[in-house]
Amino acid sequence: MDYRMIPVGDQAVAIEMGTTIDPAVNQRLQTIGQAVLAAHLPMVKTVIPGYATLTVTFNGQMATTEMVMKKLTPLIDAAMQAKLAPHQTWLIPVCYGGEFGPDLADVAAFAKCSAEEVIAKHTSRDYLIYFMGFLPGFAYMGSVVDEIAMPRLAEPRLEIPAGSVGIAGAQTGFYPVASPGGWRIIGQTPLKLYDPAHPQSFYHAGDLIRFQAVSAAEFATIKQAVAAGTYQPKGVA
Amino acid sequence: MAYLQILKPGIQTTVQDAGRPQHQRDGFPESGSIDQGAARVANLLVGNAEQAAVLEFSLLGPTIEFSAPTFIALTGAEFATDLNGESLAANRCWQVQAGDVLTIGNATKGRVGYLAVAGGIQTQPVLGSRSTTMRLHLGGLNGQALAAGDLLPVKRQVVLPSYFHRHLPAERLPEQATPAEIRLLKGPQWDWFDEATQTALVDSEYEISNQADRMGYRLTGPKLTVPERSLLSTATVRGALQVPANGQPIVLLADRQTTGGYPIIAVVATVDLGYFAQCQPGQKVRFKLIGLPTAQTLLADVRQPLDELEQTVITGKYKPPYGISRVASQRIARLFED
Repeated sequence: MDYRMIPVGDQAVAIEMGTTIDPAVNQRLQTIGQAVLAAHLPMVKTVIPGYATLTVTFNGQMATTEMVMKKLTPLIDAAMQAKLAPHQTWLIPVCYGGEFGPDLADVAAFAKCSAEEVIAKHTSRDYLIYFMGFLPGFAYMGSVVDEIAMPRLAEPRLEIPAGSVGIAGAQTGFYPVASPGGWRIIGQTPLKLYDPAHPQSFYHAGDLIRFQAVSAAEFATIKQAVAAGTYQPKGVA
Repeated sequence: MAYLQILKPGIQTTVQDAGRPQHQRDGFPESGSIDQGAARVANLLVGNAEQAAVLEFSLLGPTIEFSAPTFIALTGAEFATDLNGESLAANRCWQVQAGDVLTIGNATKGRVGYLAVAGGIQTQPVLGSRSTTMRLHLGGLNGQALAAGDLLPVKRQVVLPSYFHRHLPAERLPEQATPAEIRLLKGPQWDWFDEATQTALVDSEYEISNQADRMGYRLTGPKLTVPERSLLSTATVRGALQVPANGQPIVLLADRQTTGGYPIIAVVATVDLGYFAQCQPGQKVRFKLIGLPTAQTLLADVRQPLDELEQTVITGKYKPPYGISRVASQRIARLFED
């Protein structure tokens, strides 16, 4: 894989690998990100992934862009050859359709199949979290199978409840907090994806998400456990 | 516990420090002071670590009562300020007593002011920072701008070494009568824009609109032609000039979203970021392109006056007698001189 480093202002460098949404490219960038953080370079502030970029920000009073690029080159080259950084796969229970997924029927019509088949397709694969953005806990994930990749609504809804799971083209994701949005909402998770008391989400960029269909009764049980603070998000071993 | 009581909140008065840069990859805005240089100077003047939490206010400052003796410093924009009715100069350290009332009025020049208190504002940190991100109700005091009646915990402090050495010249602020010159670096998508657009950006005047907050300042001026190509979402940086579909650039600031998909035509040089943040609504700005090596030399030079102050203060610190005894001894010395 080829990459290039582009200065972004005087305190950041973007490592760019092509211009397509490709899980292999993104996972390689996540691996580079881990390596850069693990190197604890004193001038480096942090790394922020995008789809095909990893932006490294640094303190411009401690080093110039040129110096930072020189430090990054061997780290990137080593991370290009290294095994992919370890990541988690998280199980996210979702109650599809009904009041939780007002757009499920539309997506089924779009895919020319039944609602059950849409659910089967949506739960059929693990989704990579390319990066987090827009809101805390908002994960940009992809890609859904082509048949259900329905474009977003022409008119965004004014409020989508927290936990809603939706599709926007090849992207899928969940709303950590209630917010306006134009995604096709097909279900809702009972998990609390954003908690102001513990704002850090349990999933991170580079992790995988697997959706698991649950009944309305199971949804209610999990929601109660979440409210009681006894529910632990489940990882896949 | 000592505290500051907010009698009048001013406009968008918030607790800010260095923000949460390390949590941007989880989608949290960086946040932190929008004029980082001014916040740093305020802290230095009262003997704090550079990144201690301060109060940031915009266009109209708060009125504050102190419950315990401490030391304060005001930096950033010029505000009409008084302590118990007596006018108070900015950019120097002042001792305040329990019951003192500090009234910060309208900004007379510049936009954003800072109040540092010895020991720093002691609100509860969230994700390693006390910065308020209002949009997410995160940090600060309940994640909100301050309101009348709010109590902010601080430390009681009666002695500060080198009190008389703690002053600095005022920072450079935009003049309303003349366009503020802001130095830019070419952005990662500079080449996506046609030549006429590149020229328009650096040859025209833009104006700071009323749509300006801690997320970013929208500019109005000659419309920039947006390239047809689409950009995959990528991390945003402070100072990026993002060009949305309407062709009116937005300069992204502290509370910006962590990623974005609009092309970045240019990025404000860090050395001018605080100066830019100090522009009031209606302020005209002119952009000037500079190269990366120039920007980095300028940025490195910013530290110099701060380092010098630190030197002065530290050297002063080791000249006995200290603190109150020194004030007394100087008074006695003056009696003999007369």
